[in-house]
Amino acid sequence: MINLNINQKSYEVDADPDMPLLWAIRDLVGLTGTKYGCGVAQCGACVVHLNGEAVRSCVTKVSRAEGKKIVTIEGLSKNNDHPLQLAWNEVNVPQCGYCHSGQLMSAAVLLRENPNPTDEDIDSAMSGNICRCGTYPRIRKAIHLAAELHKKEGGTK
Amino acid sequence: MAVILSMIGIMAFGLSTLNNRPNVTGETIQKIKKDSIASVRAFEQVYQVLMSPRCMNCHPSGDIPLQGDDSHLHEMHPKRGQDGKGVFAMKCANCHQPNNTPGLHTPPGNPDWHLPPADMKMVFQGKTAHELAKQLVNPKQNGNKSMKQLLEHADDGLVLSGWNSGEGRSQPPMSHAAFKKAWETWINTGAYAPKSK
Amino acid sequence: MSTNQVSRRDFLRVSGLAGTALCLGFYFPSSAKEAEIVNTSGVPKSEVELNAWIHIDTDGKVTIFNHRAEMGQGSFQSVPQIIAEELEVDLKEVNIILAQGNREKYGSQITGGSSTIRGSYKNLLKLSATARIMLITIAAKKWNVPITACYAESGHVLHKASGKKFHYGELVVDASKLEAPKEVVLKKISEYKLIRKPLHRQDTPLKTNGTAIFGLDKKLPGMLYATVERNPRLRGIVKSFDASAALKIPGVTKVFKVRMGVFNTFREGVAVVANSTWAAMQGKKALKVEWDDSGFEHINTTEIYRRQQEDLQTKEGLYLKKQGNPDDILRQEGKTIDVVYQTPYQSHSCMEPVNCVAHYQGDKVEIWGPIQAPEWVQDYISGQLGLPKEKVIVNMTFLGGGFGRKAFMDYPHEATMISKEIGAPVQVVWTREDDATQGPYRPGISYRCQGAIHNGEVTALKFRMSGQNNDHWRGGKTDQANRSTSEGFLKPYFDSIKNISFAEVQFETPVPTMWWRSVYASTNGFAYESFLDEVALAAGKDPLDLRRQYLQDERCQRLIDKMEEVSGWKKRKKNEGFGAAITECFSSTVGQIVKVSKDASGKIKIDQVWAVMDCGWYVNPDIIRAQVEGSIIMALGAATIHEITFKDGLVEQRNFYDYKMPRITDIPPIEVHIMENDADAGGVGEPGLPAFAPALTNAIFDLTGKRIRKLPFDLSAV
Repeated sequence: MINLNINQKSYEVDADPDMPLLWAIRDLVGLTGTKYGCGVAQCGACVVHLNGEAVRSCVTKVSRAEGKKIVTIEGLSKNNDHPLQLAWNEVNVPQCGYCHSGQLMSAAVLLRENPNPTDEDIDSAMSGNICRCGTYPRIRKAIHLAAELHKKEGGTK
Repeated sequence: MAVILSMIGIMAFGLSTLNNRPNVTGETIQKIKKDSIASVRAFEQVYQVLMSPRCMNCHPSGDIPLQGDDSHLHEMHPKRGQDGKGVFAMKCANCHQPNNTPGLHTPPGNPDWHLPPADMKMVFQGKTAHELAKQLVNPKQNGNKSMKQLLEHADDGLVLSGWNSGEGRSQPPMSHAAFKKAWETWINTGAYAPKSK
Repeated sequence: MSTNQVSRRDFLRVSGLAGTALCLGFYFPSSAKEAEIVNTSGVPKSEVELNAWIHIDTDGKVTIFNHRAEMGQGSFQSVPQIIAEELEVDLKEVNIILAQGNREKYGSQITGGSSTIRGSYKNLLKLSATARIMLITIAAKKWNVPITACYAESGHVLHKASGKKFHYGELVVDASKLEAPKEVVLKKISEYKLIRKPLHRQDTPLKTNGTAIFGLDKKLPGMLYATVERNPRLRGIVKSFDASAALKIPGVTKVFKVRMGVFNTFREGVAVVANSTWAAMQGKKALKVEWDDSGFEHINTTEIYRRQQEDLQTKEGLYLKKQGNPDDILRQEGKTIDVVYQTPYQSHSCMEPVNCVAHYQGDKVEIWGPIQAPEWVQDYISGQLGLPKEKVIVNMTFLGGGFGRKAFMDYPHEATMISKEIGAPVQVVWTREDDATQGPYRPGISYRCQGAIHNGEVTALKFRMSGQNNDHWRGGKTDQANRSTSEGFLKPYFDSIKNISFAEVQFETPVPTMWWRSVYASTNGFAYESFLDEVALAAGKDPLDLRRQYLQDERCQRLIDKMEEVSGWKKRKKNEGFGAAITECFSSTVGQIVKVSKDASGKIKIDQVWAVMDCGWYVNPDIIRAQVEGSIIMALGAATIHEITFKDGLVEQRNFYDYKMPRITDIPPIEVHIMENDADAGGVGEPGLPAFAPALTNAIFDLTGKRIRKLPFDLSAV
């Protein structure tokens, strides 16, 4: 048994230590917001936070996550009100929506480390996340908006 | 083959710099038997390895690492960052695990995966043998490494991972043992640089 | 909006009230063009073939069923937005439910051909207005006032004079007993409160916190997971397989051969069933399978284009359209142009790989998945398994992209066969590699384009295409030209250019091909609109002026004016390349202008894309802008980044490392403009795609004099 701390809850999972964290989260814990896109760290659909870093859960073995804090899209905020989630709604970013769990989790690390990102910073942070629907222009716009919202809130989130 | 040496700088380094470094032991110095021909010959071997994709890909001329046996720009454009470990959501360790991920086209792994830091980029890409040799022995360009530390660097975990690079990637052009031997020979014979062309 | 998809509880609540709630449906007499609206409340389904989009319960809760797939294009918002307008309800207060597949209830549900709005908006408006009138009628009766003294607003009927009001739930039982009125007056565009407004999508909140349920997110009690190793040559059968290593993987429970229909043929594979997706994937890797694909050509990409282009030089092909005599004109005096364009095979590569959940239970089967055509799946599985249609229940989840790939029956069929074999519910997961290597693909096509110019005027155009015909995979006639040979080409050209022909020089391979966003327009548009640029040059005309001259149609003229105005076409400077293209498909016309220049290193840089969409009547301008932006980015990938190639019958691309995608760093600024008119609604999800590639290559020609006739091309190597 492996103990995983996901969104501040503890889960005991019966997983092979080599199982990628993605499948433990989705199939064993049952949190399906984190997506499978490529399985080889190419697309970013599976991004979760591991001790605050935007790791790709499809190549991260469950053993690496043991004893660390995992946050998935379900835990990004309590009420869907992270500045990024609010901005995503305001800008109507998602189309099919499948990649956006990963997009949001990547963007959240960007905003935490750089509350006022330039276009170039956004490129540097988000170039690992593929969107087949082509929502990139709106992702960019929404990250800028989220930075504004974040400032107005006094940076509490 | 006639080897014409570039004595400038390197010779001076071989003597004075070494002697002046406080962390170099007498033992290390004793080993050095200056032999410019053997040294340059050894460096030719070293250079082949350092310029192979497994080493050069993480010593790029720009701030984006290279990828693949053709050393193309790394696909999703991860940036070096101040500490060489990436930026924001694009840190090396987000994809590069402590070990190689199984399968073709998966991220190779190492617990300490990184590029040289922004203030000491240690660029290999585009360097001639002359330039690279000079850079390697210059503490201001080699990560503040003494000759002893340079010698030891041959067994650094990240250097070693070049020979354990994951499925489908070419190996450096010689074994690690052969590389290490050439590396040590190069340094222990005076760390001469081949002539600039 | 309070819930998103049918939770068990909500579904029971809704369906349990069927007898007392107002259910309006369309009756589709087989001969009628427009549906007749009838009151279906309490009518047993077996007696009348009907449908209900709107359910209102006695508490006043309104549920709207979206009969089309939501794959990003916005039906989950736009269908309810139409209904809420005429029903007079607050969109935030209604439940929206993705309907099950049911041809009898909903008519066509296939979410393709950009047809959701254009195919159903008139009926939906009428249906919703009818419901509103019936509710008002009952309220008026209760207050004993004329109907005209009452109006509806936010789920209530109000009496104008007194301000008294009923919520819909208080009226619905009596309203359900009324005969549906035959005629209703619909709102004018100027009266719309919701339609034509850029309302926020109701599915966005579900897609920002992980609660939207896509196909892969569907879980059932006792559900197992399966992967399938399918013939890498896309056809043929399993000769033998060795499961011993696969069965040693912890969690793998069963390995067996499975056969699934692929259009009018089939393919075989070996299924690995396990207790987690990962175990099933590990098991698949450990399988050893020997394939028999004898009898199928082991195709190579170079051979495909060699054969197509050889045939285009020697064969006339089957004519789809021919007016005048282009051959005679081409033989006469004047300038002629004769060139070949080439476009690649493409994969849909939805972010959500193909997958399906099936639960076979002997006398019935229930299916959940990212499905574009639920009623087709129902028909097909019913036929294959010999089950009555009502025993094949097909549920649409949200789709993580569709683009045409998820309109087929192969993967639900496969999942059903696996569930049948193991006697348990199963989720069949296609790996990214399966998704990339198994097709069906957009066909790669070569075009031969010939034109004659006399005294500066275009006197003849002759187009021939050679590439696989998708219709042949669905039993289409092989003695007729591909009906999409001229798709994308604007109809007014036929009025102004006397001699035009379009023909298909037939070409087949064993590779399954099928619709890919904007279908043949996506490749035709590149060939035909690039060629018109070449014709303009030969005729000594400005490319946009040529289009203006030959597109004598009021809407086209306005579109061209708009393109010129927003892009500053006439004010373009030296060192700037401007390219234009206009295409039409699925009843919408889109014009695009691309501006390029060279960066400091001399590489081509796309500075700006302007797109002008004329789709007639429309619902939500922001969804339209989003669809056009996305279409342009998808077109950018198909034109400059990726292609599917074949070597010895095997697909060479496997994942995003060799079928690369545009990333945020590759995206030029895109500006989308929508033409305002009240012409019949056209499509939105696809028509924004085809004009991009030719507008880009025309711009590159304008800047560099280099004509690109083959896609994809490397933008950094021009």
